[in-house]
Amino acid sequence: MFDHRRIGIALAAPAALFVALGFIVPVAILLSGAFGTPGGWGLQRFAEFFGEPLYREVFWRTVKLGGLVTLASALLGYAAALAIVDAPAGWKGRLTGLVMLPLMISPVARTYAWIVLLGRTGMINQLVTGLGLSDEPLRLLFTETAVFIGLVQLFLPLMVLSLVSALENLPPDVVSAARVLGANWPLAFVKVILPLTREGLVIGGTLVFTGSVTAYITPAVLGGSKVLMLETLLYQRVSVANDFVAASVIAVILIAMSVVTHALLRHAAGRGRK
Amino acid sequence: MRHMLPTLARRAAIAALLLASFAGVAQERTLVLSAFGVSQDLLRKDLYAPFEAKCKCKVVVNVGNSADRLAKMEARKANPEVDVAVLADFSALEAAAKDLIEPIDVSRLKNYAKLHEMAKDPIGNHMGVGYTYFATSIIYRKDKVKIESWKDLWKPELKGRIALPNITTTQGPTMLLMVDKAWGGTTPDFATGIQKVSEIKGGVVTFYERAAQVVQLFQQDEVHAAVVGRFNWPLIKKLNMPIAWATPKEGLTGGINVLVIAKNAKNKDLAYAFIDEWLSTEAQTRLAMDLVDSPANKEVKLPPEVADVLTYGKETVAGLNLIPPTQMLLRRKSWVDGWNSKIAR
Repeated sequence: MFDHRRIGIALAAPAALFVALGFIVPVAILLSGAFGTPGGWGLQRFAEFFGEPLYREVFWRTVKLGGLVTLASALLGYAAALAIVDAPAGWKGRLTGLVMLPLMISPVARTYAWIVLLGRTGMINQLVTGLGLSDEPLRLLFTETAVFIGLVQLFLPLMVLSLVSALENLPPDVVSAARVLGANWPLAFVKVILPLTREGLVIGGTLVFTGSVTAYITPAVLGGSKVLMLETLLYQRVSVANDFVAASVIAVILIAMSVVTHALLRHAAGRGRK
Repeated sequence: MRHMLPTLARRAAIAALLLASFAGVAQERTLVLSAFGVSQDLLRKDLYAPFEAKCKCKVVVNVGNSADRLAKMEARKANPEVDVAVLADFSALEAAAKDLIEPIDVSRLKNYAKLHEMAKDPIGNHMGVGYTYFATSIIYRKDKVKIESWKDLWKPELKGRIALPNITTTQGPTMLLMVDKAWGGTTPDFATGIQKVSEIKGGVVTFYERAAQVVQLFQQDEVHAAVVGRFNWPLIKKLNMPIAWATPKEGLTGGINVLVIAKNAKNKDLAYAFIDEWLSTEAQTRLAMDLVDSPANKEVKLPPEVADVLTYGKETVAGLNLIPPTQMLLRRKSWVDGWNSKIAR
């Protein structure tokens, strides 16, 4: 594009400098905090971290909730995305807009709304007791269920949008062809739609999982200290205990979890291709 | 000596002075205060603004929680940015242990003699002066339950209806102190108290980390009792609900906040003047009338409706069961470990 390569390099320099100073340097400092030991370098800090029963519990809860939220988003996301792609032309834009609408509202506001909805006197409990499903209002607030609901609501749109764009790239006649050749709907979904849209699932899944395990507001507000997740534990270690070592370890674990999840999803998608 | 300056240097000095006068405001001295985020608007009105008018200087405030602000002070140890800091007593002791603050020469504070005895040297070696107290007790819905002892938190009708402070808050350890005492605990690791709290943990709605949350929990009828600091009481009263402040037979607990001077602070004269202003009867009265802080100055006279809301009066202050800050610093980790293994899981 440019006559001289130098111009291209010069143009990239400010952004590169920004990334170097604003991302690579802090990450290096973070890593040195997590891997540094009194005697040099090693995994001692991680061993200490996982040696603590409370921290192990928090780790597994984070993995579990991240996985469940991703799974629920995938199931709900496919249903919604199929409906959107199948809608008449004029409606597609409007429906996509509706999916994006919550993304324009602050997650803090959305999360606080759940406090009102999930409370003892909230809408959900009024419904439950009104319908006679339970005599006592259910305890929802400050439970894993509340965090799960909040996270699904927060990240489902990302999954829907990824799947919509994947489904739109689906060759138009493949589903009809499968149906003509005798596949029923579930079979056509598993054998045709799923393999052809797995890229969207990988992207959506990575976004939802990474978002869920690194979310702070939702577990802090809807879970509180009884439902600690890695992110809320990280905040607690830094702001209360002034323990930057444990915080660095948690940050590294979160980065590793995101990378591993992405790789696993990618691997699973790659296997489906054969 | 001025006449001895070479002409050139004199001219340069004059030019510099002229430039400086153009810079105007930048020449004004600033005092940097490190403080809690709460009530900053009222503190500005009742304290910073009157002080600025007197000292012809500016008060710049860095806000945050104690741990955060201590970390910042530690990072700037060689070149301190902060002059005066507001800390909980045990955080101040931690700052002293890290050599971040210096002893206060109380002879430079003309309002020092007016302080309650307990505020004069709360952390020892005159490393800080107390400027406010707060009591901590149980607040409860008097139409639902009656609370006369810390043990009443174990009443079956409160199952699923109480909020307690998490160990990470300032209130957490003080609550353990009282619970441990009520149930006959004898060891400084509060083993009895931790064990008793763990027995009802399933019935605790949440172990809160921000005191403001408690107000919301009462408002939404989630809880009927909670352990809170007195500084939350004005907000609770505004709910207009039948909520009472308990006076348990084992007594109240609480804490002291202190003012400290950063080691090698750049504006030490301003720092002393500012602390003196904060301890003055006038400033303490204004802050008390706005329900910002309970007074540590014993000359402050308050009308009953204000005194009723704050932690006020010689008997109240003397009756507080406080954790000695040295013990807090020494034992906090063991309390957190005990809490994490029995309650947080």
